[in-house]
Amino acid sequence: MSYILNRVFSMMLTLFLISAITFAVTNILPGDVAMMIMGTQSNPEALAGLRETLGLNDPLLMQYGRWIGGMLTGDWGSSLVFKEPIAPLLLQKMTASGLLVLFSMTIALACAVPLGVWAAVHANRWQDTAASSTAMLGVSLPDFFWGIMLILLFARGLGWLPSSGFVDPADDLGAAIRHALLPSLALGLGLMAHLTRMTRATMTGILKQEFIRVARAKGLNESTVVWRYGLANAVGPVMTVAGLQVGYLFGSIIVIESLFNYTGMGWLTYQALLNRDIPLIQASVFVIAAVVMLANLLVDLLYAVVDPRIRLS
Amino acid sequence: MKVPAAFRNTKGIVGAVVVLTVLAVAILAPLLIPADWATRMDMRARLSAPTWAHPLGTDQLGRDLMFRVLLGAQTSIFIASAAVLMSIVIGLPLGLISGYMGKTTDNVLMRLVDTLLSFPALLLALTISAVLGPNLQNTIIAIGIAFTPFLARIIRGEALRVAQMPYVEAARTAGNSDLRLITLHILPNIMPVVIVQATISLAFAILAEAGLSFLGLGTQPPDASWGLMIQASRDYLDRAPWTALVPGAAVALTVLGLNMFGDALRDALDPRTRGEA
Amino acid sequence: MAGDQTPLVSIDKLRVEFRGEDGPIVGVEDISFSIAPGETVCVVGESGSGKSVTSLSLMRLVEFGGGRITSGRLGFSLNGKQIDLAQADTQTMQAIRGDEIGMIFQEPMTSLNPVFTIERQMTDGLRVHRGQSRSAARARALELLQQVRIPEPEQRLKQYPHELSGGMRQRVVIAMAMACEPRLLIADEPTTALDVTIQAEILALIDRLKRETGMAVLFITHDMAVVAQMADRVVVMYRGNLVEEGPVERIFADPQEEYTRKLLAAVPRLGEMRGKSAPEPMRLVGETASNAPVTPIDVDPKPLLQVHNLTTRYPVKGGLFRRTIANVHAVEDVSFDIPRGQTLALVGESGCGKSSCGRSILRLSEPTSGEVLLDQTDILALSSRDLRRRAWRDMQMVFQDPFASLNPYMRLRDQVTEPIRNFGIHTGSAVEDRVSELFDRVELPRAFMSRFPHELSGGQRQRIAIARALAVNPKLIIADEAVSALDVSVQAQVLNLMMELQAELGISYLFISHDMAVVERVAHRVGVMYLGRLVEIGSRQQIFENPQHSYTKSLLSAVPVADPTKRNIHDDLNFRPIPSPVFPLGYKSKPSTYDEVAPAHLVLQNEVGLDAAPE
Repeated sequence: MSYILNRVFSMMLTLFLISAITFAVTNILPGDVAMMIMGTQSNPEALAGLRETLGLNDPLLMQYGRWIGGMLTGDWGSSLVFKEPIAPLLLQKMTASGLLVLFSMTIALACAVPLGVWAAVHANRWQDTAASSTAMLGVSLPDFFWGIMLILLFARGLGWLPSSGFVDPADDLGAAIRHALLPSLALGLGLMAHLTRMTRATMTGILKQEFIRVARAKGLNESTVVWRYGLANAVGPVMTVAGLQVGYLFGSIIVIESLFNYTGMGWLTYQALLNRDIPLIQASVFVIAAVVMLANLLVDLLYAVVDPRIRLS
Repeated sequence: MKVPAAFRNTKGIVGAVVVLTVLAVAILAPLLIPADWATRMDMRARLSAPTWAHPLGTDQLGRDLMFRVLLGAQTSIFIASAAVLMSIVIGLPLGLISGYMGKTTDNVLMRLVDTLLSFPALLLALTISAVLGPNLQNTIIAIGIAFTPFLARIIRGEALRVAQMPYVEAARTAGNSDLRLITLHILPNIMPVVIVQATISLAFAILAEAGLSFLGLGTQPPDASWGLMIQASRDYLDRAPWTALVPGAAVALTVLGLNMFGDALRDALDPRTRGEA
Repeated sequence: MAGDQTPLVSIDKLRVEFRGEDGPIVGVEDISFSIAPGETVCVVGESGSGKSVTSLSLMRLVEFGGGRITSGRLGFSLNGKQIDLAQADTQTMQAIRGDEIGMIFQEPMTSLNPVFTIERQMTDGLRVHRGQSRSAARARALELLQQVRIPEPEQRLKQYPHELSGGMRQRVVIAMAMACEPRLLIADEPTTALDVTIQAEILALIDRLKRETGMAVLFITHDMAVVAQMADRVVVMYRGNLVEEGPVERIFADPQEEYTRKLLAAVPRLGEMRGKSAPEPMRLVGETASNAPVTPIDVDPKPLLQVHNLTTRYPVKGGLFRRTIANVHAVEDVSFDIPRGQTLALVGESGCGKSSCGRSILRLSEPTSGEVLLDQTDILALSSRDLRRRAWRDMQMVFQDPFASLNPYMRLRDQVTEPIRNFGIHTGSAVEDRVSELFDRVELPRAFMSRFPHELSGGQRQRIAIARALAVNPKLIIADEAVSALDVSVQAQVLNLMMELQAELGISYLFISHDMAVVERVAHRVGVMYLGRLVEIGSRQQIFENPQHSYTKSLLSAVPVADPTKRNIHDDLNFRPIPSPVFPLGYKSKPSTYDEVAPAHLVLQNEVGLDAAPE
């Protein structure tokens, strides 16, 4: 119990630091919201007036206080580009991206774990070389490269799946899944390669442990030894790596969503960045970092479920 | 000796050959190929598939893709190397100090680093680049900053491990000052990990540069990088897929080479995995 | 016992190879021996002798480590027939493993699967081999836990491995191996990672199970004392070959081979120093060094080192903000003196605080309170600058792990030169001369000076560590388990070197060790530590010949004696488990009070541990 309390408190502190860093990155670096709103060619007096109304002449700490106060009270401000309140906009886009992240993680784990275990069991033999080389190739290809290949093959070539757009699952579940499939694959293939490598490395280590030898010495058959004794110990570490990759996925969706015109969080952030929509940039960067941190917290708590050694501490 | 061990397996040799080839291209191409070969527009052969005249095809302006890819190597490699160098220059002292000093310094620094790690590196780089204004120099800064927390974390862990080794304690009782301890006894022993991480970070930096440029928030024309070439190809995917595939393959090949070499280096150098695999 | 019964196991011309980077590496070259039913055969050898490879081959587990049986027969009598395990298929082997042959390993801490309960791990073998139901297997598991004398077996079945102590885990592993009543138990260094009292318990347990069930035991070990206690017959191995084989009494009384004689000469035997007042170097085969006793040549009545009421506590962090939530009382009110040119040995089991004590004196760990006087200099009062300049000029340390105590990226010459230059002991060409002299002194060729540590063996590295410590002409060297990681023959050489240096240079040692037999060889005085306290201190003869504290007595009774005619650990033993050294914040420990039972022979009067009432 105190463990969870401890984690929750630590999380609050991290959230606060995330907000501070977000604000710092978007403010301390040169760049000016007023200039961004009005353009570089605008009239200096109007610019000065806008600065005053936006409170840009106040000390940074005060500006930060105003911003964080707004965030806490639910007043997230309005987007300069979309002319819409930010909070509901983010919620909607986050749902769309959540679908992608969930899909790609499922695809990646479902393939990576068996493949990685298989490679570890045949360590340094042809099966391992084949699996490891494929995985190595997989992690070396940029996500958008996967995306382009998938579009060429499944959308343009075979015409099986749409290459662009987003459909709300509430409107048409089938169409929503079909639209999410290619971007999820584009995200998932690189992830799968990475997780395969991690699973292989973890399992190679586990299979050298003494308790594996003891299990064999008991006369258990090899599949029990590997898939029960071995894999049970790999679940925690692989889950941790998968959790860390949530962060990587939320970086990649910026590229993939804009490639597939999938209007989720990544697409939104990209629009905000392109148009220097500072309030929207701040809010979306903050939300993404917070979601990534929460995902890792969740993984940490899940770890305690799969590994009895963590429970006591 | 230790370093040649990295070359003892096929993975290491292939990786090293690829990396050296790409490096040679990045350095030599601008010296050997006149710059205008990559910018000369052949209006009769726009979006031309690979032919004898244009072995890797042309882009929408009729520019030769082979020459563009060869000359683009310099920009991509330069940005990636400079960014990784920057993250090491910042991350190495940070990690060393944090790991060696311990206590409050370590707690504060690592809390900060952990928080920074919640920001996806690509998002951080994109945001910094967008705020600073996208150009070549800011792309380097953006990627460099985005990669620093990860490096600092790894170096700190390694410094912590090495600082507790008996040989460091022995060196302490041998009358060495803190400075000598760090520079002569700790630093050399964490260098293998730094080198391995630098190699792998280089691969990630090339991917990051490609991603940034692909989104138009990295290198800007007239600088020509591989990511920028892929971005330019987006509208012509149907008619001329090679415009994307050629620079994409260049990125993939370079990253693959770096990853293979990095893996082999890790097997040979990294004390945490040495003897495994 | 071997008689003319058909042997249970007959190994014939076994050869095992491993895949290496540059072609195959021979693990076992040519080994033949047999094991009769009900017999204990000990295979003994130093690291790299191939003793473990032999036992893994018998189980055909060697293949999972990249090894291959290239020739030879592994005869095993199964249902009255002889089968060749080297040719057996996977199914046959799986049926034999855990059923006909049980096996236990070195590391009890890693021998059990951390994420499964004890019950699951104890029953799955039974369910596979005996087809038992869950409840039948559980009942058998309970019976087995009782058989290996584990308290509260019902409770244990529900627990996970990390909730049990090392000794307890090894009992579980043994119970697991015994589940199907195997006819052969292979024990591969089963007590090497354990403290001496737990080792005695486990050895006694294996011996009792053998007598009760009539199974044969193949016991792999590097420790001649354990061999003397356990074996009916002994197989001595060296570099993949069999050196000598015979009944245990014959091997110890009349070894035929040069290697066996060397090995036995290097083993310190508890009790062989009885009646002698000063330490003596060991008489090694083929060495001409004198073994004159190291008589203390102390003219100064003031001791070199005085430690008064030394206390060291480490915080246990946890909770919000990583606050200190408890303290480990590593060293608790410890006092002793070390005269010039003498050795004080601190002995005790892991976690007793002996290493912390040594580190606190050097201030590598910062003590909580107390006083350390080195030649009347108050060490704990020194600033960090003076600590470096003055304290470490006179006190040096030799660490346990020879592979971790030298900087892998620095030439050996530079590692020995560093202290000379840092302390300004010599300048110019005198530095070079001094380094050469030090290499001569620790009997290493001068050609080694430009080498790197990885080019040296463990014993050679430990000699460099000693040279580095000697470089400043220290008055005191703290040797923290300095010979524990070495093979026994190398250990003997390093010990002899240390004793020679003491006789010549008048150095004092604080010799920290868990090995009572080694301590009996080297120490003038001995302090016994338990749970952070010094429970007894006295001259070597007082401690070894007339121990007073109950803990000292049990420690000494648990040490296996390297003499098969003096078997001392075959009664079923159960020592009191060592309580936790973690105390709540603000816990006030009582000061240590001693009873002087004889001149300079002190015995602790306090109760030790949390059960003891605080002040």
